[in-house]
Amino acid sequence: MNAIAPASHLRRSFIYRLLAASGAEFGEVNGGAVALHYGGSREAELATARRLGLADLSVLPHGGFKGKGTVEWLTAQGLAIGPDSNVAYKQAGGEWAARLAPTEIFLLDSLAGTGALLQRLNAAWQWAAAAPRPAQGYPMPRQDSHAWFMATGAFVPEMFAKICGVDLRREHFAEGAIAQTSVAKMSAIIIRADRPAKDGRVTPAYHVLADIASAEYLWTCLMDAAAEFDGKPVGLRALRDLEA
Amino acid sequence: MSQLNRLPAPFGRLIDRAKPLTFEFEGRAIEGFAGDTIASALAANEQWMLSRSFKYHRPRGILTLAGQDANTLVQLPDEPSCLADRYPARHGLKVMAQNYFGSFDNDMARLVELAHRFLPVGFYYKTFNEKKSSWKFWEPVVRAMAGLGKIDPKADFHHSYYDKKYLFADVAVIGGGPAGLAAARAAADAGAEVILVEENEALGGSLGYARFDAKGERGNQVLDDLVKGVEGRGNLSVMTGAICSGYFADHWLPVIQGNRFYKLRAKSVVIATGSLEQPAVFRNNDLPGVMMASAAQRLIRLYGVRPGRKAVILAANDDAYGAALDLLDAGTEVVAIADLRATASNSPLVAAVKARGIAIHQGHGISEALYAKKSHISGAVLAPVAGEGTFGRGGTQVACDLILMSVGFSPAGQILHHAGAKFGYCHASNMFQPVETPTGVHAAGSVNNTYDLDAVLADGRRAGLAAARDAGLGVAEIPAAPAEKGNVGRTHPWPIFPHERGFDFVDFDEDLKYHDLVNGIADGYDNVELLKRYSTVGMGPSQGKHSAVAAVRIVARETGGDIARMSVTTQRPPYAPEKFGHLAGRVFDPERRTAMHHRHLELGAQMMPAGIWWRPAYYGAKSERSALINAEVRAVRENVGLIDVSTLGGLDVRGPDAAEFLNRMYTFAYVKQPVGRSRYVLMTDNAGVITDDGVACRFHDEHFYVTATTSGVDAVYRQMLFWNAQWRLDVDVANVTAAYAGVNIAGPKSRAVLQKVCSDIDLSAESFPYMGVRLGTVAGIPARLMRVGFVGELGYEIHVPAGYGEALWDALMEAGKAEGIRPFGVEAQRVLRLEKGHIIVSQDTDGLTNIWEADMAWAVAKSKPFFIGGRSTEIMGAKKQLRKLVGFTLKNDADPCPEECHLVLKGEEIVGRVTSAVRSPSLGKVLGLAYVHADDAAPGTSFEIKIDGGRRITGIVTKYPFYDPDNKRQEM
Repeated sequence: MNAIAPASHLRRSFIYRLLAASGAEFGEVNGGAVALHYGGSREAELATARRLGLADLSVLPHGGFKGKGTVEWLTAQGLAIGPDSNVAYKQAGGEWAARLAPTEIFLLDSLAGTGALLQRLNAAWQWAAAAPRPAQGYPMPRQDSHAWFMATGAFVPEMFAKICGVDLRREHFAEGAIAQTSVAKMSAIIIRADRPAKDGRVTPAYHVLADIASAEYLWTCLMDAAAEFDGKPVGLRALRDLEA
Repeated sequence: MSQLNRLPAPFGRLIDRAKPLTFEFEGRAIEGFAGDTIASALAANEQWMLSRSFKYHRPRGILTLAGQDANTLVQLPDEPSCLADRYPARHGLKVMAQNYFGSFDNDMARLVELAHRFLPVGFYYKTFNEKKSSWKFWEPVVRAMAGLGKIDPKADFHHSYYDKKYLFADVAVIGGGPAGLAAARAAADAGAEVILVEENEALGGSLGYARFDAKGERGNQVLDDLVKGVEGRGNLSVMTGAICSGYFADHWLPVIQGNRFYKLRAKSVVIATGSLEQPAVFRNNDLPGVMMASAAQRLIRLYGVRPGRKAVILAANDDAYGAALDLLDAGTEVVAIADLRATASNSPLVAAVKARGIAIHQGHGISEALYAKKSHISGAVLAPVAGEGTFGRGGTQVACDLILMSVGFSPAGQILHHAGAKFGYCHASNMFQPVETPTGVHAAGSVNNTYDLDAVLADGRRAGLAAARDAGLGVAEIPAAPAEKGNVGRTHPWPIFPHERGFDFVDFDEDLKYHDLVNGIADGYDNVELLKRYSTVGMGPSQGKHSAVAAVRIVARETGGDIARMSVTTQRPPYAPEKFGHLAGRVFDPERRTAMHHRHLELGAQMMPAGIWWRPAYYGAKSERSALINAEVRAVRENVGLIDVSTLGGLDVRGPDAAEFLNRMYTFAYVKQPVGRSRYVLMTDNAGVITDDGVACRFHDEHFYVTATTSGVDAVYRQMLFWNAQWRLDVDVANVTAAYAGVNIAGPKSRAVLQKVCSDIDLSAESFPYMGVRLGTVAGIPARLMRVGFVGELGYEIHVPAGYGEALWDALMEAGKAEGIRPFGVEAQRVLRLEKGHIIVSQDTDGLTNIWEADMAWAVAKSKPFFIGGRSTEIMGAKKQLRKLVGFTLKNDADPCPEECHLVLKGEEIVGRVTSAVRSPSLGKVLGLAYVHADDAAPGTSFEIKIDGGRRITGIVTKYPFYDPDNKRQEM
């Protein structure tokens, strides 16, 4: 994947300047520039991701549906969504369907970032020609309402303990658990989605979804909280390597 | 001689002799070791005087050596009032004493003591209650004398980094002494996740310094065993140097460690905070050289410092004899033990002291400490006890440089008090004790009136298991509290011996003597809570840790009451000092930036806050503000301008009942609104007060995109969710404000510019008329387009997914280059809209404005049955209005432009205010909006405006829009 300028595409992360200032090298994923790595050795960045790494995935496909009939419609589209709210359900392709409420689903693509599922769903959702229309929920502009960060590594719960009042330690916050809470005094959604490697080693990982307009603020707070643990920004490559 | 009081190893378990250090105290070099506190290093170097007292500036020295008293408060370069017996000695540190005038050794304010008779208890009450004028005389004196340390605002202060962190545990154990260690271990053994919080750097509490047996071996043995029991366990975390400063609801505990403020939430709590050794009251009991027996033991065992050369011990318990043995081991001569008890104890400790040939004066006390130089004691007067608080005739003077007080204890029950525990007085032990604790809170050890070491350990285990069970762990059986607690004979019921010449201090912080309290009670403040406020007893930095119980005893005796029916004064958090930095932590101040934020900065925008958003006010230098705003206005009127409107609220309202929902939420009618058109929305509350406005864009039969004001959208969204839940209409509401970036490209050339980057929408006036809305693409970006007229020119609002916002801005700026497109900010927009007479809700309206006052009845659909505030609007419409929002110009345009909130007068009566006013660059005259008396609202009517300096100018009610009254320009 060739390096590209962070503003080379129409769709841009709100924090691309901060990432570039940290030395990010960008590559194209799904029509946007994503920080792939930060220039150091691949092994060192992977080690950072295992200790405490922060990645910006805002350009990767994410979306959602909300309203009456949402879960039934998504289920009919082939998604596996369980009955409990505040639980994220992993899909066959590695995507997550985060059930924020009985009729609200936040969808996160896999880190492959193909966007295949979201593209299929967005194409499938259409207003029916005439009323009465079937209840099928409504698409939500989550791609643009929410910045998407991922925090990985053993020190993530300790880092979060400085800015979030929810106990996110692995033994208290299960895989797929969702916290709709406050992080650094702003609303955020945290989803635990560990990164298991093929050798059985599991790296704790948490998706962080928050107001896109406050993305620079939140990223700065996260980096500040992570500094104590030598946490650093990591690129998409390191996140993918965690599962290698 | 350096460190002449330093004892050889094994004394000094906390210091590292391999790491010497040097610091300064009052400019004098002080040598110490790593592990020393400032106070212990000073003591090692024979510097016993640490501070000057608050009122009389008496010399003060070590009292507890446990960070419990105000005697050790010292000044550091960047921090006043640090506890020298808690603050670690650091190499190169510059320490000063505080609260003195002249020099520390010769404090001129020492003369205040000579006037002590003229500074009676309740001085403030007596002086200022009736003679308020006396404040003028006393104020400079009080201000000069008040306070302890100093902050130099001219110094090179830096903000330290403070932060906060959450902690979670099944069981929190507060106190790492024997009871706390035993409790933590027991709870962890039961499977609980435990956090043990200890305020000192080392675990063990009294095990580290007290003497439990004649040989002095048991404490260390038990300590080693207990520490091993809590180390290296996955489910037990130990925090040392961490002070739990309070207890709040649901087991929420603030814990301060260094610059971090922890918020510890536990399922249950064990409070094992121990006890506070209490002083005796006798003349000069406050001078350096007089200290708690436990303080001397801390000096010896923890820091390896000999506390004096010749000691007298005032005893009322066997612990005093343990201290005597420690002194002897440290090479201090024990001249005498004055034992307040009439008969000797048969404890092994007493026997061991007797065996060392120490003179024991049974039934004696100390009536006075003597001093040769005022900075340290030089002797003591021993006297036979005649009765409660009285001595018989005669007395023996003995030379000594150290007096230890070992007369009793009081539970360190502050945190238990915070938790709501009830305390009662135990006549057998002469101490208060917790008699009832809240659910999930357990007391253990000496705070629970348990003193015998084996009983303390058993009590700790009991509390730990009980807490584990409260936390949901399976604990089969909770042992009973130990029957024999060892609390009898520890505390003297009246260790108070007032002296006819006074200076017998009950409260060291506030320089309160015995008779100060007696006189306060005589003045009528005969309840301990009243006496506290009148005399200030217990109100100093140590918060009554050593004076509260004595004050209760004195009140009981003076009033003839039963101490068992009394209690110490209310204890409130914090237990220990908290800095503002701790409370503030790392300040989190969220802000919102639009997708184009950095483009504005690159263009030199002056940014302004709008709620938590940042918006460009205008582009260019502050010095040219007015000219720049006018130029931006002209660009829109004559050419083309571009403004970032991303902060504007956006709500997607979708569903079969979407139109009906808006019909109820807003004043206008929406059911018949065509798809592809927008319509004004005006929201009123139940009282008919205008609360927000915007437009509703119908993109589909069942989809409205509703805009709201930047600051109002969150409240509008909440209102919509609330009413949606009430009405149960088939509609879904989503706040998509941040998901869409938006711009308004406005001006006569806006269509020409937009056409360059928008090929899939026919932008002609016929095809895309004013108030039309379209879906399409702009520069390849999916967009919602709206023809709106807020600034009164041909214009298009373009809303795109936020991630494309910057690219949209770039594309439009590039497309408009040839036309000379100019970005404009909020200030220019305010002028433009005012020229059109468009109101801004919350600037031109207030918390009372109804649609009649605002002259907006045109925005109400009269045929529909209901909207929120409709009934109120109807009722208010039937009444005569008192004020009306009107447009105005000035009778004499040479008058200054009024400012917002300048008053509108009718005679001398205030009838309204100016809400907006500007000297219009388009029309070349002042125009504005103002509330005037309803009778004066007809165009052409004049009214008075009171401007700065009280000057009155005349406004003329003028019909608006002021600019382009036929609205031709925006409908081009």
